[in-house]
Amino acid sequence: MSTIHITLNGQKRELPSGSSVADLLKLESADSLKVAVVVNEQIVRPDDRASHLLQKSDQVEILVFAGGG
Amino acid sequence: MNALRLGSYTFSSRLILGTGKFSSVPAMIEAVRASKAQLVTVALRRFNREQAEDDLFGPLSEIEGLTLMPNTSGAATAKEAVKAAHISRELSGSPFIKVEIHPNPHHLMPDPIETWEACKILAAEGFIVMPYIPADPVLAKRLEEVGCSSVMPLGSAIGSGQGLSTSAMVQLIIRESSIPVIVDAGLRSPSEACAAMEMGCAAVLVNSAIAVARDPAAMASAFAKAVEAGYDARNAGLMPRSGSAVATSPLTSFLGASS
Amino acid sequence: MIALPAWLTDERLSAEIEPLLRQTDAESLERLAAEAQAATLRRFGRIISLYAPLYLSNFCSSGCVYCGFASDRTSPRRKLDAGEIEKELLAMKALGIGDVLLLTGERTSAAGFDYLRRAVELTARIMPRVAIEAFPMSVAEYRALAECGCTGLTIYQETYDPENYEKLHRWGPKRDFLERLETPERALTGGIRSVGIGALLGLSEPVGEALALLRHARYLCKTYWKAGVSVSFPRIRPQEGGFQPAYEVDDRFLARMIMAFRTTMPDIDLVLSTRESPAFRDGMAGLGITRMSIASRTTVGGYVEAETAGASQFEVSDDRSAEAFCAALRAKNLEPVFKNWDAAYNNPLPAEERA
Repeated sequence: MSTIHITLNGQKRELPSGSSVADLLKLESADSLKVAVVVNEQIVRPDDRASHLLQKSDQVEILVFAGGG
Repeated sequence: MNALRLGSYTFSSRLILGTGKFSSVPAMIEAVRASKAQLVTVALRRFNREQAEDDLFGPLSEIEGLTLMPNTSGAATAKEAVKAAHISRELSGSPFIKVEIHPNPHHLMPDPIETWEACKILAAEGFIVMPYIPADPVLAKRLEEVGCSSVMPLGSAIGSGQGLSTSAMVQLIIRESSIPVIVDAGLRSPSEACAAMEMGCAAVLVNSAIAVARDPAAMASAFAKAVEAGYDARNAGLMPRSGSAVATSPLTSFLGASS
Repeated sequence: MIALPAWLTDERLSAEIEPLLRQTDAESLERLAAEAQAATLRRFGRIISLYAPLYLSNFCSSGCVYCGFASDRTSPRRKLDAGEIEKELLAMKALGIGDVLLLTGERTSAAGFDYLRRAVELTARIMPRVAIEAFPMSVAEYRALAECGCTGLTIYQETYDPENYEKLHRWGPKRDFLERLETPERALTGGIRSVGIGALLGLSEPVGEALALLRHARYLCKTYWKAGVSVSFPRIRPQEGGFQPAYEVDDRFLARMIMAFRTTMPDIDLVLSTRESPAFRDGMAGLGITRMSIASRTTVGGYVEAETAGASQFEVSDDRSAEAFCAALRAKNLEPVFKNWDAAYNNPLPAEERA
């Protein structure tokens, strides 16, 4: 099975080729949470996450709300 | 209490809560409930699967009638703040954004120039923009002009507990502003929140003073009462302060006897 | 009924001075005076800035019942030509005056916009500061005057009571209450830097007038936050036509009103003209008042040849010379200032800088 390397939240991550944003969220156990996903500076909305396939060297950020004033 | 109007939203509570610095999520949730706040700030953070229980969206969404106001903390420039605002709106589903740009990580003083830039862009995009600012009356008017829904001058440095050290400037801002003025940062005690409301603030934003109290929920409830008391006192019309003593050689003798 | 702007009827904007105005006892007056004096000293020090009016013309198209220049008065009409204006200005300059208020009646073909614009242009070459008290104009007209060096506008609403306003202004362009009310805003939008407002005291119930005037000043300060706003306190004076004011405004009430304005708006200029007596003017200088007219003639011209100047708009009460008045101020440890502005600042604010 071929793989690709992406950067997730600043760290290298290896994924199966053809993985979607939704696959990544499942892999990270983030699929049950409300998160925002940014791929290469572009926001990927929930409806598009299953169809948005990740490419080699993609910069991915998964963001949540934490405490703040 | 009359409603606090921000954009098209109305709130009966005039206490806005920050959610940082609490010992645990349940302690924070308990404090939010005790404060009866309807608007709370949250910050954007990278997801960490080892600390997934720190996510606040789930627990906060269980509190009825609560609106989230994401902040842009972490941003050091207008560009970064605008980016954070876009992502935050995606997540919160709320048009509120607390613009908070502090390039210096130590004292956390807001950058007025970057803040103005970011607010101008975000207000034009339809956000309900709530900038955290130095207590500067001219900056406050400039932000009003670009479409901010409120201004949030600091009482004193974030987390400093020095209270309303900017009181004179905040009073000027209140006098000149046509939008709600909300004191944000620096308050330590409910009496200071009450004083800010008596002065004419539309609301206060409190975080550290509640988060680090021995009993955060009890402190949140105390702040809620103080804010309500201050607001009511303002509306009831405070008695004028006693003036200077009457001069020994009268200033008004040239006016002659009363007619 | 006309639809009044929200600020004019928002009583919360003036609530705190109402009790001060309704008190009548000597002790509260003295206490207020002490506060007003302290507030004046803190913000303005011991400075009194001085200006002088120059009546350019007494042609008028309006029928204000209380005015000596109303269009049904039979006194001869006159306007100064360019040469006369220059002579008057030089005579004023010789008295030390550097701040001039140019006055006309309501717009007429004899003394209209072009006439006024030329007068402003001429005056700005001679005097460091030029302000006008004339007919209401459009934003474009104010813009043109600002470009010629006009930096101030004085316009009194006369009365803030719309019904009474209609009765007092029998005919002419001045009949439109709202048009006049919005005039300071048009001037500021056009780039004029400061506006002076006032009510002609005696026309309507004085407490109500004072409260509305305060609301107007507050509204202007808040909305046009870069503008200078000043408030004048003209009381009706005897004039040709023999108008009897409906309300008596005595010295004590007027003093109370001025001092209440000072304590509640510590940063704005409060203005008193030579309509008032020497004793009242000397007493109020520094008790709230920070700007005064001096050596005034209320006839057309009058600085060159005081004797032959014809009918006045109203009778001057303080007719002391500039020298005598300054000596009186100095005796009170106040410093008269003739030039508080420099023509270098005369350009109108660029569009993007206007509030």
